[in-house]
Amino acid sequence: MLIPSITTLAALIKIGLLVGGLMTAAAYFVLLERWIAAWVQDRRGPNRVGIPLTNIRLFGLGQPFADGLKIILKEDFTPRHVDRVLYTAAPLLILAASLAIFAAIPFGSVLPPLGIPGLPDPISLLVAPSLDVGVLWVFALSSIAVYGVLLGGWASNNKYGFLGGLRSSAQLVAYEIPLGLGLLGVVLSSGSLKLDVIIHAQATTGIWNVVAQPLGFLVFVIASFAEAARLPFDLPEAEQELVGGYHTEYSGIRLLLFLVAEFLHMITASFLIVILFFGGWHLWGVTGAGSEITWIGAIVRFGIFSLKVFSVIVFFMLVRWSWPRFRFDQLMNLAWKVMLPLGLANLVVIATIEEFRPQLTGSLGEPFVSLVTLGAPWATFFLCWITAGLLSSSKPDNRPILTAGPLDIEQELVRGRR
Amino acid sequence: MIEPILPVLLFVAIAAAVSVGLVVFAQLIGPKRPGAVKEMPYESGMDPLHDTRRRFDIRFHLVAITFLVFDVELLFLYPWAVASRTASGIDAAVSEGLVSSRLLVFFSVLFFIAMVVIGFVYDWRKGVFRWR
Repeated sequence: MLIPSITTLAALIKIGLLVGGLMTAAAYFVLLERWIAAWVQDRRGPNRVGIPLTNIRLFGLGQPFADGLKIILKEDFTPRHVDRVLYTAAPLLILAASLAIFAAIPFGSVLPPLGIPGLPDPISLLVAPSLDVGVLWVFALSSIAVYGVLLGGWASNNKYGFLGGLRSSAQLVAYEIPLGLGLLGVVLSSGSLKLDVIIHAQATTGIWNVVAQPLGFLVFVIASFAEAARLPFDLPEAEQELVGGYHTEYSGIRLLLFLVAEFLHMITASFLIVILFFGGWHLWGVTGAGSEITWIGAIVRFGIFSLKVFSVIVFFMLVRWSWPRFRFDQLMNLAWKVMLPLGLANLVVIATIEEFRPQLTGSLGEPFVSLVTLGAPWATFFLCWITAGLLSSSKPDNRPILTAGPLDIEQELVRGRR
Repeated sequence: MIEPILPVLLFVAIAAAVSVGLVVFAQLIGPKRPGAVKEMPYESGMDPLHDTRRRFDIRFHLVAITFLVFDVELLFLYPWAVASRTASGIDAAVSEGLVSSRLLVFFSVLFFIAMVVIGFVYDWRKGVFRWR
């Protein structure tokens, strides 16, 4: 019998907290989303379910439990026309992957020294603090979500499911490149793939990456909306056209696994946006980069971090109820023809700045250096914005393409079609 | 040696156990009421026309290949991005004489990105990204 070491035990406690917390959070974010939907549409949201067998309603806070219980008690049906193995594997894969992503994502700063023998102090609020490839782990697992979606769509043997799976895989795959490009700028400026080190780098300089790399932020946020398959990028499941997309044939608990995994993707995306671009637990004048931590400091950091993540999630939900869905060709155009060039431009600018920062600091004064290192990315941001605006047509184009765009030389193709 | 990734493996195992556990639990306590209508693929209430698994648009395939190329190219940039700011990275290589200068590395990377851009423009002009 293997006796777990005390570090393993600490990791187990953190994993337990995270898994429990995430599942509960996903359930309550569904409630929050329905409240926000109700608020946006000027109607009442779920407000009835409270404590069972009483008349206490508690603003509907019992709703997630009722929903969960109900869906577990429903029949989990496997139709005969599906590929049984893949049909079951798909939701398991997608939920396990979207939970395991959090092995590399810090959910706070560090705890003050506890003085437990055998435990390295201070304990960082991260399941795998010694994992050097945190960002790559996050990316690898979020790519596995593509498999879950594709397998689910394929195994269902349903036309809606198949179309949803195809669309989804093309979309996730296309937006992963801008996502990686936006991230690369951040990795470049902090010199580490560990997410806690990236937070610390921003806390040390006091300049959040959203200020230092606006273009990278824009690209990353748009790509992470697409990766989380949230409106306006929710084409994989587009209720009105594809019924439910890749989970049309699913019912009961396996449908729930898909839905929870989807919410977890959104939560992951919010965590990443906050960590990479909004300085994680850092806030000017409240939490600095100091290394000695008191209990109050640790709690304040955790609170600020959670508050930021919460705000980003609310932003995700507000966007969902304010924007119409893209068409699929618009989606792919945005990914390949707009986001990819913007990401490359951002990468080149940031790489140049980071490469020549020491020389600049050596030869010029400090204020001038910050002027250049902050001015150049913003200049690029506006330049790229204007260029993208000028190069793309302002008219809604629902007709077949008859004239080529500025960079297209497919006139032959276009003419041939006409 | 397993120490750094042990928590990760644990997390994966627990996540898999939670998902499998949920499904098994619901299978055990959920009702079972099979029926002929439930066995049909859902097609908005119509009788299904034919099997789903037929040929589909080549563009999805093209996108997959393009993605593979760009993603692998991006992955090559990560080691450089980390090494360019860490003490044991490019600076150490320069001082040990493995690389002649920092600028050489920088311009090699810029050249590499330029190659990616050339491939991107080629794809664009070939109409890989056209969806209509």
